[in-house]
This record gives sequence, structure tokens and C-alpha cells, in this order.
Amino acid sequence: MKISFTLNKQEVTIDADPMKRLLDVLREDFDLLGAKEGCGEGECGACTVLLNGKPVTSCILNVVHAEGKEIETVEGISKTELGKLIIDCFDETNAVQCGFCFPGFFITSYHYLKTDGENDLDKIKEALAGNICRCTGYKKIFESVMLACQRKNGIEV
Amino acid sequence: MKFYKPTSLPNLFEIVRKIEGKKYYLAGGTDINVQIKNGMIKNEPMIFINHLNELRGISAVDDDIIIGALSSFKDLLESDLIKQHLPYLQTSLHAFASPLLQTMATLAGNLANGSPTADVAPLLLVLDAKLKLLSKSKMRVVSISEFYTGYKQFDMKNNEIIGAIIISKKAEKDYKTFHKKIGSRNSLTIAKIGLAGLKKIEEGVIKEIKLSAGSLNEYARRLPKLESYLTGREINKINFAEVEKILQHEITPISDLRSDKGYRYQVTVNLLKDFLIN
Repeated sequence: MKISFTLNKQEVTIDADPMKRLLDVLREDFDLLGAKEGCGEGECGACTVLLNGKPVTSCILNVVHAEGKEIETVEGISKTELGKLIIDCFDETNAVQCGFCFPGFFITSYHYLKTDGENDLDKIKEALAGNICRCTGYKKIFESVMLACQRKNGIEV
Repeated sequence: MKFYKPTSLPNLFEIVRKIEGKKYYLAGGTDINVQIKNGMIKNEPMIFINHLNELRGISAVDDDIIIGALSSFKDLLESDLIKQHLPYLQTSLHAFASPLLQTMATLAGNLANGSPTADVAPLLLVLDAKLKLLSKSKMRVVSISEFYTGYKQFDMKNNEIIGAIIISKKAEKDYKTFHKKIGSRNSLTIAKIGLAGLKKIEEGVIKEIKLSAGSLNEYARRLPKLESYLTGREINKINFAEVEKILQHEITPISDLRSDKGYRYQVTVNLLKDFLIN
């Protein structure tokens, strides 16, 4: 089935099995390797992408769900000013160890900063509740997002 | 796997008419894709419905709130209408899934999956929700308490789909509310116990009470015997030994990989006591 959608601001069309997981389409057909497969059941958040601006787990999304929609991945968002700020904050607080979960945390943090952005630990915890990290613990990850909340003034979001 | 993408609701019913045997409807896909991964769904026909906008939207019609079947948990959490009329339902939804899943998971999907642990079922039961069932040429409304008839069994024909969920604007008005989900974690977990309750108390007497339980029977259901026992009683004269006795006939907790039945039973008793007294 032919499926068209916007991928990182570019119109794309793909001829694929409509049930193919969006995660596999991104990795195999578009060579976008940022989104990772962790649990494959929507629980760990390593495969998070934005669907019409909202974070979703691409491992339990079928490519047919993307038809006519806007998909953004870590590859696209990391080029934005806000994306760069988040990367700097994670870097400064040493929040990333193995890095496997980071693209997911990055996307969810980006969405939080864009839609809310209040420097409130409880709200940040709730926003990131669908992402799991098994290396460093969450304290530094939350600190990174709080730091980004403090610094985002003046950045176009 | 044969895949169908209907062009409209009438087209959907045309497709459904031609399929014999088991079929699946793909809406948000948060559960179906896990079932596919685990080999529980193999070659059954798959009908995509997530794009059918006729099944979306939350609106107020007279005294009712009509929630389109494809409304996601996120849609409900963000809806001003739900906030205004059904705040108990809205705040309770925070305990269900993660924000990432809430965006895709649909209300009707949670019900139609038929799992005894379905998170929204206990809430919709005490809210006396009704389901609008659609077929090619017919529409009928069934109360959610009559919708479930057994383990993954529904009062729904092969050619019917859930079109909308209907809840009265007054469903939770002036009630004291109670909702508790017990799982291994606060959220993103399968419920070991799901309880919901509404009560009206006047001068220490229970004027009206609605109680429902999920994960404690073959399907989520109300607790009518306990409700009728409690109605009209003074709160500080409730005989809890009697309550426990009635409960033993109304819930049938099982032991499984998530929990054992003794734990499920005792926690249910404790939580209900807490709701009755406070």
C-alpha cells in the first residue's frame, strides 16, 4: 500500500505493508537509526517519535497510522535550537550513559519544553513517565530537563 | 494477514459483511501490536479504523456527553467538556498507561479488548455509561453493565461496532467519588485490582452507592448485592463482617502471575472499607 506522510518536514511516500511497524520503516526504509527498539511493546519509550507533535512509541504504531500525518524523529529535532539546548543540558549534567534510551528521553523532553516547560519536578516526572533508563538512574535526567527549562527563555520554541 | 482500510463508515460495514469468522479492528494499536508481536494474532483479517473521523470527537447533546469510540485517553484528558462535567473520570485516567500510550490508546479499544483488567471499565460502570453500537442499518444503545456477558464476551453482534460511549452530564454530580487501581507500579501497569465507587451520604446515612470491580471477576462488573445491602445504612453501624461475607459472593479473585487471590481479596476489603468510612 502507498503511504504518504511528512518525515522531518519533508513529504515522503513509501510502498509498504501497512502493518509494518513505523519503527522498522524509519530504520530500514529511511535509514533513520535514532529511534531504538527496546521492549517492542510500548513500555520503555526508546522508540519514541512525534506524531503530529505528540510523543508516541513507534514500535506499536503501524506505518498506516502515519498516513497524512507529520512524523518527527531525533534526527530532525536535534537540528532545532531547542533540540540543541536539550542535548547540551543532558551533556552538562552527564545524564547519558549507554545512550540507548536517550533518543526517547530527548523527544519526550522536547515535547514537554515546547508545550509546557514549567520548571516543576513533578510535572517533568509525569511527562517522562513513559521512558525507561536502565543505566544512570533518573535524577540526572530530571536535572537536565530542569536545566533546559531554566535556559529555554529566548529560544524559539 | 488480509488488511482493509475502509473509505467510510458505510464502506466499513460492507467489508465487515463479507468477512466470516474472527477479525480485528485496528484503532490506536497499542494492544493489537503487542498481541501480534507475541504471536497471539497471526493471520486474522485486520480492519484499520483509526482514520474514520465519524467515530471521533467529544460533544454535549442535551443531558449527555457523547464520546466518539476513537477518542484517545489523551483526548479525554485534554477535553474541556470532560473537565467540566466528568472531572472524576478525567482525573482517574491519569493512572492509566503512560503519556506516550495515552495519545494512541482509545476508550473503545480498552472496552472492546474485553480484558477483565480493562482500566476504564470500573469507572464507566459506576457512571452508568451506555454504548452506542452501530451496524449497517441499525443503531442500538446498550448499558455497559449489560455489555459484558463473560470472559471476553459481549452483547455485540459480529456486524456491530462500538460507535460511541454515552455518559450523562449528571453521572457524577453531587457524588463522593472513589477510584483505586492497584498494580505493581503507580502507572503503566496491568491492574491487579481496579475499584470505582460513587456515594451520596446524608446525615451519616448512605442514600445511594454504586460500586464496581475490575480484575476480580471474569469481566469488570458492578457489585449489586453489596450496593443494596449498604443502601440506607448508617455509616458507623455498618457490619463489616457482613460486608465481607457478601463480597465473597460477588468477587472471585484468582491467583495468577501478577498476584494471589488472598492478597486481592484482602486489599479489596480494605479499600472498600476505607471508601465507606471516609
